[in-house]
Amino acid sequence: MKPNQSIRVSHMLRGIEDPVLIISTDRQIVLNANRKAIDTLANGRSSQLRGLPLQAGYGMEQTELFPKPMPPAFLLPVSQNGSMALIDFRVSPLKIEGKKYWLAIGRKVEQEEELQMRLQHLEQEKSMQQMKVQLMSMTSHEFRTPLTAISSAMDLLETRMQLDGQLSQFHRLQFRKMADEIFQLNSMLDEVLTLSKIAGNNWEPTRKPVCVEQIIETLRYQYFSQRKDKRSLGISIEGEPRLILADKDQLAKVFTNLISNAFKYSTLKNPSVKLLYRKKKLVISFSDHGIGIPEKDLPHLFTSFYRGSNVDGIEGTGLGLSIVKTFVESNRGTISVSSGVNEGTTFTLVFEDFADAI
Amino acid sequence: MNNTILLIEDKPGLSDPLKSLLELHQYTVAIATNGEEGIRTARILRPDLVISDIYMPVLNGFDLLDGFRNDPLLHDIPVVMLTARSEIDDVQLAMEKGAAGYVTKPFLFKNLHAVIQGIFEKQL
Repeated sequence: MKPNQSIRVSHMLRGIEDPVLIISTDRQIVLNANRKAIDTLANGRSSQLRGLPLQAGYGMEQTELFPKPMPPAFLLPVSQNGSMALIDFRVSPLKIEGKKYWLAIGRKVEQEEELQMRLQHLEQEKSMQQMKVQLMSMTSHEFRTPLTAISSAMDLLETRMQLDGQLSQFHRLQFRKMADEIFQLNSMLDEVLTLSKIAGNNWEPTRKPVCVEQIIETLRYQYFSQRKDKRSLGISIEGEPRLILADKDQLAKVFTNLISNAFKYSTLKNPSVKLLYRKKKLVISFSDHGIGIPEKDLPHLFTSFYRGSNVDGIEGTGLGLSIVKTFVESNRGTISVSSGVNEGTTFTLVFEDFADAI
Repeated sequence: MNNTILLIEDKPGLSDPLKSLLELHQYTVAIATNGEEGIRTARILRPDLVISDIYMPVLNGFDLLDGFRNDPLLHDIPVVMLTARSEIDDVQLAMEKGAAGYVTKPFLFKNLHAVIQGIFEKQL
């Protein structure tokens, strides 16, 4: 803001009794403020206020408060007579000599009102988070359409070349690599979507009575039947089946990941799932007879982006098991692993909350 | 005689290559672009198998399954769902409504073909 402009704006603001800030639209710093704002927010020192980025309260932790563009309202905490109070600023656009600014007019929030305001702002934030997750979910589904079109076109090209006798070992290898990357990208989309829910605190489990056997049967039907390599998933049940309290979607993600890994890291024998219903707990074991996990990797297995030292050439993001552990624990379960290199791996999950015992 | 497959998919970018792939594997293929057109075509064509998307305009895949189950002309035709939806509730609903298979997008043709062959083998 030019000096003469600034003086004119200061005159204009002088008559307003509430604290007023003029904020730059691009840098989100305070360009001008009236006396009330200077007294309330900067103990009467205008130099402390002008040019300052809007941060989470002066003298408080210096973190950026606002995303761009400017939100329609924000709260600033101020120190008053030794205690904290809140100023509620409402933001509207303002044009001075053709240039755009944000005009923020504040109002002290009374104590009773304060809780309501905080609640309102939290709800706004929550609804923004939900919108983000919905957008991510929609986007992730939309991405699958072009991915499917690409993989189908590649399949068609490969089949056509094979029928015409033009498919060499080199071509076959390149087609295989492209297909692997497509499915890798698809897995990453799923995992990023799940992580965005976790990061947005939008993953609190909805625990209801669920039949674990039914979930595993559904997954076998969806993903693990009619495989080209003729392998199948073995399922065995011991004890009297009972419902457990858990979030069905989260359990399905956990089981899908562990069963996919069991197929992915083994090649010959069938992976298996064993459900053992004991008096006070359900023990679920996912076993394969594959490459196993080296002992040095075991302590890091559930860390995001960590991948085993013997998985060269097998695609993966290193996110799956970290999501698995988060979801198992959020459903009040435990997970452990036992493994031997070239002997196989068993993941064991234990859940103690039976629906009929609560 | 070749088996006839009705493919119900509203996106030509997906239905065109899949139709060609199925034809290269000796199937006779017809295409419909939504559930309603799919049921109409199936009544005339009486295909040996249907492959259907779930989220489509006019009539979605779940309603299509109901339509097939309640139609004496169509109730014994196997329907395989081919969809981007991988949520367990969708799979369970499709199973309850009598889907013969459920393949999620993106997919490898060899996996879809294994499902189709499995269904035809069961019918023998």
